[in-house]
Amino acid sequence: MHLDAKVPDGPISQKWDKHRFNIKLVNPANKRKYTVLVVGTGLAGASAAASLAELGYHVKSFCIQDSARRAHSIAAQGGINAAKNYPNDGDSIWRLFYDTVKGGDFRSREANVYRLAQISSHIIDQCVAQGVPFAREYGGLLENRSFGGAQVSRTFYARGQTGQQLLLGAYSAFMRQVNKDNIEMFARREMMDLIVIDGKARGVLVRNLMSGRIEAYAGDAVILASGGYGNVYFLSTNAINSNASAAWRCYKKGAYFANPCYTQIHPTCIPVSGFHQSKLTLMSESLRNDGRVWVPKKSGDLRRSEEIPESERNYYLEQRYPSFGNLVPRDIASRNAKQVCDEGYGVGTTGLAVYLDFADAIKRLGQNTVTEKYGNLFDMYEHITGENPYKGSMTIFPAVHYTMGGLWVDYNLMSTIPGLHVLGEANFSDHGANRLGASALMQGLADGYFVIPYTIGHYISSTDLPSVTTEHSEFRVAEEEVSKRIDRLLSVKGEKTVREIHRELGKIMWDNVGMSRNKSGLQKALGQISDLRDEFWNNVNIPQTGNHLNKNLEQAGRLADFLELAELLAVDARERNESCGGHFREEYQTKEGEAKRDDENFSYAAAWEFKENDKPAELHKEKLVFQEVELSQRSYK
Amino acid sequence: MKNMNLNLLVWRQKDAGSKGKMESYIAENISLDMSFLEMLDQVNEDLIKKGLDPIEFDSDCREGICGACGVVVNGQVHGPQRATTVCQLYMRNFKDKDKIVIEPFRARAFPVIRDLVIDRSSFDRIIMAGGYISVNTGGAPDANSIPVAKEIVDKAMDAAACIGCGACVAACPNASASLFTAAKISHLALLPQGKIERKKRAEKMVSQMDKEGFGDCSNIGECEAACPKEISISHIARMKREYFRAVVDEIEK
Amino acid sequence: MLPVFTALRSSVGKKILMAMTAFSLVLFVVVHLLGNLKLLSRNSNAFNIYAHKMMSLGGLLYVAEIGLLLLFLTHIIIAGLIFIGKRNARPVGYYMNKRLCKPGYNFIGSTTMIYTGAMILIFLVVHLMHFKFGPGIKDGYIKEVDGKSVRDLHRLVVEGFQSFWYVSFYTAVISLLGIHLSHGFWSAFQSLGINHPRYTPLILGVGILIAITLSLGFISLPVLLYFIG
Repeated sequence: MHLDAKVPDGPISQKWDKHRFNIKLVNPANKRKYTVLVVGTGLAGASAAASLAELGYHVKSFCIQDSARRAHSIAAQGGINAAKNYPNDGDSIWRLFYDTVKGGDFRSREANVYRLAQISSHIIDQCVAQGVPFAREYGGLLENRSFGGAQVSRTFYARGQTGQQLLLGAYSAFMRQVNKDNIEMFARREMMDLIVIDGKARGVLVRNLMSGRIEAYAGDAVILASGGYGNVYFLSTNAINSNASAAWRCYKKGAYFANPCYTQIHPTCIPVSGFHQSKLTLMSESLRNDGRVWVPKKSGDLRRSEEIPESERNYYLEQRYPSFGNLVPRDIASRNAKQVCDEGYGVGTTGLAVYLDFADAIKRLGQNTVTEKYGNLFDMYEHITGENPYKGSMTIFPAVHYTMGGLWVDYNLMSTIPGLHVLGEANFSDHGANRLGASALMQGLADGYFVIPYTIGHYISSTDLPSVTTEHSEFRVAEEEVSKRIDRLLSVKGEKTVREIHRELGKIMWDNVGMSRNKSGLQKALGQISDLRDEFWNNVNIPQTGNHLNKNLEQAGRLADFLELAELLAVDARERNESCGGHFREEYQTKEGEAKRDDENFSYAAAWEFKENDKPAELHKEKLVFQEVELSQRSYK
Repeated sequence: MKNMNLNLLVWRQKDAGSKGKMESYIAENISLDMSFLEMLDQVNEDLIKKGLDPIEFDSDCREGICGACGVVVNGQVHGPQRATTVCQLYMRNFKDKDKIVIEPFRARAFPVIRDLVIDRSSFDRIIMAGGYISVNTGGAPDANSIPVAKEIVDKAMDAAACIGCGACVAACPNASASLFTAAKISHLALLPQGKIERKKRAEKMVSQMDKEGFGDCSNIGECEAACPKEISISHIARMKREYFRAVVDEIEK
Repeated sequence: MLPVFTALRSSVGKKILMAMTAFSLVLFVVVHLLGNLKLLSRNSNAFNIYAHKMMSLGGLLYVAEIGLLLLFLTHIIIAGLIFIGKRNARPVGYYMNKRLCKPGYNFIGSTTMIYTGAMILIFLVVHLMHFKFGPGIKDGYIKEVDGKSVRDLHRLVVEGFQSFWYVSFYTAVISLLGIHLSHGFWSAFQSLGINHPRYTPLILGVGILIAITLSLGFISLPVLLYFIG
């Protein structure tokens, strides 16, 4: 199948406007006759469901949490970018577009990114109108800060809870439509399968997590906004229940999965404290503005950080990157931390941590100023680790944070299955090989509020959609398969718990398919993943039954999919013989040890097609054409 | 540091219809660096290995913002540490051989689904009744067209910080949802964008709160003390003023 | 949109009524105490003169009494409704329950309102039986005021307060009233939506001061009369 991104013609700045004019509309009176099924209630899902319901469509919405308000978008701390140029510091749609394409290491689709930058301003307007309490100046106007190394201040924020406030804004719009009966909300439902009838996405099967019953819902289009797959690494900053199953079910029904190897590792997380660790906690990147990263010069130095004199400390980032120092981009900071730990200089009980020291900042700015700037982060650190960061150095380590890959979508956000639209982190997105700070919230809301309401109308009005009910045989066949799979999971009754196997998968992925990858490691990982998958299906122990709330069963189903996705991730990483953004292949680096892209051979989005009967997935390439920006090599020396 | 053994007394209940009871378990080899929920994770691993039923509890983000988790630990909502959700409670707050009693949040409007998992959809219905500003997507004026004083937006943010965990209800001797409802009414009533619908909002949300079967507010202040986001009961006073405004408005008509 | 009657039955409305009746009752209690202080006057007939003046208000007195009755009834009925509501709102209680209470708020008062209130109600019945409907002129409690024979309430009070048990009961209940007011006063402000970072601590303080002053004032009478006669 030929991958057609359906990017409209014309100059980049006019593509979206022109496209909006050209697409077909649905008669307002007819909209209520169409049902749209929305899976996920994060920023993308909630905003899409609310906006479509406002337009008059009948929406059915599903989420795995007990309330739509708890989707993991809520945990985003930093902020949301928009090209408002309120601070008058030279920002523009063009600059946001350029920064995003460059930040993504030239592996995203130009037209999508430009549209994202265009829409960004409307998002802020919309959120303020909904009552999102963004930070303001004393004069009453909105405050901006610079974020993630951007040279302009374009980030809007609400304390350290921007994601929460944006999500609650979308959730309130969503609940307003529930109240008007335009949205039917189904909480504690997990999508088990996509129903494709006559080649079009026409329904979903969900499992009621309270009763275990499989429920069927038919519709005219399906929107998937189910988030990323970071939990394939077991430990990540994702929520415990974040999973890739919904997307993976769609992949197996024919939606291509693009760029799975693009994963983002965030450099400043609180290190793993032991075997029991269930998730990792992110600390704002802003810490690197004043903190200095170091490790002891002596390997295995067991002294407390404050007992190690200056002369025995190695401030490795400052040494290797004299001009950017501690402020190098996320991927570089992360990779260097891993490197020094691999060399045996890591600190802490696990040896998998580096120090972040504020002694200098405290001396220079005074403890009060440091408290003012970072007090809540220091408190959080002390809360979790029980150590006082004012006395000694903090310990930090990188952690999996975001996945840029996801289901392939065209300019209309439609996957390769007609009618299946994919939004937010679940799609392969506008971030290319690396996402910039404060851009995830922007993309989720852009997709939901301002893109899908237009493009789904175009799909519906230009497609023949005969009436389909849940009585259709496709539903029954799929339901039987889903039940069979659950029974199979429950019948293994082996020795290992779901968690144990998930932890093992995480270790394989982190060690070989993590921050830095090489061919032999990837090859090794592929073997190990395959063995682990066999072990899972023969030796997992899931307690109890499937007809009541059973969280182990839920996690087992998700792990089963992660065990397949992990393989595709490793294959994609193995096939991409270059380094770019979040994907670093040790064989492809510059003399200085930086990522070396191969634009000639790899300037494409890798979209993988599922093949039945254990045949390997087939690669389709969407060529990325850069007409507006010039490709360049990043350098932070 | 030495790991601990703890004696747990945990509420077990098969489903909403069944009667539950407290059962005791031993949590072995618990590290001080574990979070409370990681301790439960480990207990569950041991239970599964022994062929017993794991203890079901809700949790998601495990960084104190999603509001999914929440249990009562030794009679205190979200455990002994203030301004903390139970996922952010660490085991260094406990000592070896401690007895720990774990119960679900208790309220008629929060029925137990299984063990420590409860149904808080009543909160969704309160928001549904009016916890929003009625604007459709598109057509919003420029974000800076209405200036909002910093002090006002800060106060609105204090209220908007609510994570909807239900700790206020669980801690209230009357099982009142006033703090939750007030936080949303207050957040929106403070902002100029939300003032237009303030009367209808206060009326509808309070009425829905009453319908859900929560208790009345007796101004005891337990909710504020238990709230992981330390939301003040001054917002409850604002809710009352907002409601009063709705009544006066009716008299004027 | 919002009929007043419906509003008053809501959780917010109930508490508004509770607060308004509370303020009125506090006012009544203050006036009552001021009247009682006449018992300590050198003129042993002062209290009777005061009582007689009240009695001679005629129809107005009945209006006042009915008003007072309504205030009490409203306060009591709503308290009952809130208590029942609270029971219904949490059918299964906690196995272990530790209260935190925000520092600064009055914990003993706030969680015992229904019980202190119930005790005050019992006292009220006894009190009314004793003084309102108790022994009168025909039982020999006669005194002359302005040349008329009136009920000798002064003697009735003094005699009553010679009983150790009655004095103890009285003192205990008035202490409970103090506890009731220590939470009730600021709580009434909060119920009316009056809360301010600067003034609320002040209201809390004033409430406790009023509670202590009123209970000491009331308790001083029986104690003095018991020991002095």
